[in-house]
Amino acid sequence: MKDGKIYEDLSLILRRSQIVFIFIVAIFIILVLSFWKIQVFDYQEYWRKSEANRIREVILPPQRGLIKERNGKILAKNVASFKVSLIRKNCENIDEVCQKISPLLNLDPSVLKKRINKFRNFPPFLPVVLKDNLSFKEVSILESRKIEFPELIIEAEPKRYYPHGGFSSHVLGYLQEISINEFQLKKNEEKSIGDLIGKTGIEKEYEVKLFGKHGQVLEITDSLGRHKGEMKRQNPINGQDVFLTLDFSLQKKAEELLEGKEGAIVILDPRSGEILSLASYPNFDPNKFITRFSDEEWNKLVSSSEFPLENRAIRGLYSPGSIFKLVIALAALDAGEITDRTSFFCGGTTIIYGHPFSCWFKAGHGSINLYEAIKHSCNIYFYNVGKKMGIEEISRYARKFGFGKITGIDLPGEKKGLVPDPQWKREVKNLPWYPGETISVSIGQGPILVTPLQVAAFTALVANRGKKITPHLILSKKPAISKNDFRGDFTKNIPIDIKSSFFEKVIKGMWKCVNENGTAKAAKIDGYDICGKTGSTQVISTEKAKALTAEKKIKTHSWFSGFAPMSNPKIVICVLVEYGGMGGETAAPIAKNLFALYREEYD
Amino acid sequence: MIDRQQTGNIDWILIGLLILISAIGVAFIYSSSHYLAKNYYMKQILWIVVSLVALIIFLFIDYHFLVEYSIYIYILFLIILICILFFGNFTAGAKSWIKFSFFKVQPSELIKVIIILLLARIFSGYRKKYITLKKGFLSGAIVFFPVLLTALQPDLGTALIFIPILLASLILAGINKKTFVFLLIFIILVSGLSWHFLLKDYQKDRLTTLVFPEKDPLGSGYQILQSKIAIGSGGLLGKGYKKGTQSQLRFLPARHTDFILSVIGEELGFIGVTIVLIIYFLFIYRLFQSILKSRDRTGVYIIFMVAVMISAQFFINVLMTIGLFPISGIPLPLLSYGGSSLLSNYLAISLVLNVKMRRFANI
Repeated sequence: MKDGKIYEDLSLILRRSQIVFIFIVAIFIILVLSFWKIQVFDYQEYWRKSEANRIREVILPPQRGLIKERNGKILAKNVASFKVSLIRKNCENIDEVCQKISPLLNLDPSVLKKRINKFRNFPPFLPVVLKDNLSFKEVSILESRKIEFPELIIEAEPKRYYPHGGFSSHVLGYLQEISINEFQLKKNEEKSIGDLIGKTGIEKEYEVKLFGKHGQVLEITDSLGRHKGEMKRQNPINGQDVFLTLDFSLQKKAEELLEGKEGAIVILDPRSGEILSLASYPNFDPNKFITRFSDEEWNKLVSSSEFPLENRAIRGLYSPGSIFKLVIALAALDAGEITDRTSFFCGGTTIIYGHPFSCWFKAGHGSINLYEAIKHSCNIYFYNVGKKMGIEEISRYARKFGFGKITGIDLPGEKKGLVPDPQWKREVKNLPWYPGETISVSIGQGPILVTPLQVAAFTALVANRGKKITPHLILSKKPAISKNDFRGDFTKNIPIDIKSSFFEKVIKGMWKCVNENGTAKAAKIDGYDICGKTGSTQVISTEKAKALTAEKKIKTHSWFSGFAPMSNPKIVICVLVEYGGMGGETAAPIAKNLFALYREEYD
Repeated sequence: MIDRQQTGNIDWILIGLLILISAIGVAFIYSSSHYLAKNYYMKQILWIVVSLVALIIFLFIDYHFLVEYSIYIYILFLIILICILFFGNFTAGAKSWIKFSFFKVQPSELIKVIIILLLARIFSGYRKKYITLKKGFLSGAIVFFPVLLTALQPDLGTALIFIPILLASLILAGINKKTFVFLLIFIILVSGLSWHFLLKDYQKDRLTTLVFPEKDPLGSGYQILQSKIAIGSGGLLGKGYKKGTQSQLRFLPARHTDFILSVIGEELGFIGVTIVLIIYFLFIYRLFQSILKSRDRTGVYIIFMVAVMISAQFFINVLMTIGLFPISGIPLPLLSYGGSSLLSNYLAISLVLNVKMRRFANI
């Protein structure tokens, strides 16, 4: 194949290329010799320099954003605090160091050791926080003996402080040290070990905004650890302030009214979904455990039988009781099963599917129409309506009204509750659906479970005559006050397709319930058109209750949910008091107080 | 497209060395960044796979075809460079990236390969003993535009790498005394002008610290000094993999990119560095040997330019880590972290394999 015509004479350029290669060989030899000089000949000198390299990277924590309520009152801020950390790399013998510093920090050596071991998989030059919230005495002792402990560093850090203590603690949440699992998550890419991050509430939900971004600086120290200067400073970017929709005085009043009880209150603006108050009681003082270390206070809270850490407003699951009659009424009107002229006879008890069912009013309401049935919360009326509807239809409407799913509030951990239907019972309990259960569900008893927030959102939907809002805590975009505010955007009203005239009918019943001597009469305020509905849910079944002795009277959960004024509603209030007795007794008067305060403040 | 004889002529040794160097890179990218949240080494592995696929795909296309159409690709890339100059997004102050859905690619890296093709095209029929003025200017112009556009991004380091490619082509075409003097005057003129008009202060600092590295140990001399301390303190055997204090304590800047050799020097010592240097030497030696296997002038030019380009990148980077060359942002070819540089070097090697594969003409 080889022949001159195809293969031209390339000898000249080939020769030139190989000459260049000779140069390359020469450079390679020079390189090896240079490395020999640096790494072998001058080794001692460079080794000394690398040992003397006491420059270290110091993380500069950003200032966490403030949390403010709607009028600018500060709910969470930062105060100065000191912490002491240890750099493992600078320790010769960790056991010895633990022994030596234990009396200074007033901590057991084994505690210190355990703490240091927790971070054994991280690079040894990263500081491990040994103790935070140092007292001035501790700081001064440590500072004065700094030369003895080159492995310790004392740093100032901004510490979270909640000036109103337990006020709205469930909304705000609290901070704790980032766990090793959390540290490995992608969203925590910017974090470093020892950082305190939001574990619940707004602190968790808006963690990224509030946190900001770490800065760093290379600090130059001499061999004794004395500060000699710094370089490459990159300042931290402080977190953004967060404005909440909460109204300080309403929230305060709501918490006061719940004091000594267990329960929750949700107050929101039905036009926008802005939450003016979200109270859960008992609450807790987050200031007491913002530390990297779990202590007694924390263990007490976690193990308490009253579950003070639980946000009952979004995570408490309760039967809706008679509040659910509003759902049945709307559903039956929309399905065409009843009109406002449909009447049923209430004789105090009735037999359905062979079982006796009774009204709470033993004497019976007589022949009763929709308005009166809502006003007096007649059970028999709604047993009949529920029976006509059937469980499938009831659960379909309940879901349409937002039950059985989260409302989408900007708080972590919201529960979705339960809307039962035959399929659920088959799958979860492996039992068929009994027709009698439909009758219980018709008055909001049985397996159905809702959160106070869901009830408030549903009440807002009624007040809006069929427009659904997303309850939220972040103040919407307009009007922003300064550049550093973070504002959310939740201003969406989604219509559900049910005629507004049906809502008007139910609202009329709710108005009567408060203003015409109905079950919610305790919420009545003269000259203010409040519409509402009470609910009292049996905590244990009636059979068991009968077995109880007289002095241990059975108590029910007490509900009230309502709005005002009747036309163009501006406020929705939902109150739940655990073991509060009848809705009209406990929850309705609390709501009245709050309606009055709102009217005073805003009207 | 490709037949059995050609696949039989694939240079497996070259491919083996290529992958070996890349693998060393992954190991030390891991060592120098494992404590960071971003998985740089995983990304690098992904890039190696992508680059290998690209390398194989380009083997199917006869290099004559690529050379033939290089002028169009060249123009296309010039337009892209102009576009990013005006609309590009910023990364560390340099407008040099185009974002695709998964990867960011630097067109100024890829254009190196295109310049090689285009220069090979110009000289493919050139049989004179020495370069003529006309050819010299033409090849100069081809390199000038990408240099200018890349330098304006501003990415002087990448722009710098185009010059050895041009020089390589001129050397092959033949430089006589007259051309040599002309080139010398030209270089002095350009460097004088750019010192006054083009170079930023920090770049001037980098050049002055080359001469006086101890003058400002915390300023621009910092990086060179820390790099030398890292390498020097590694000694004969090194501090051990993942145990380099300079690297792990983050004294070293750009540990997984430009200064990765310093990490190797610190952690594996003189022995380790020498082994890496030998592997590179074998790789470059293999490239120069490949020149002799080329069937035609085009092939010789291509392989020679690729060999010079890779050698130049390698030398500039290594000399930088020991403070004998200014910091210019040129990574260690095939080893440093960085997808664009890896991809363009893989494509260049693909061209070499391409030429070698087709060394016997089909009639």
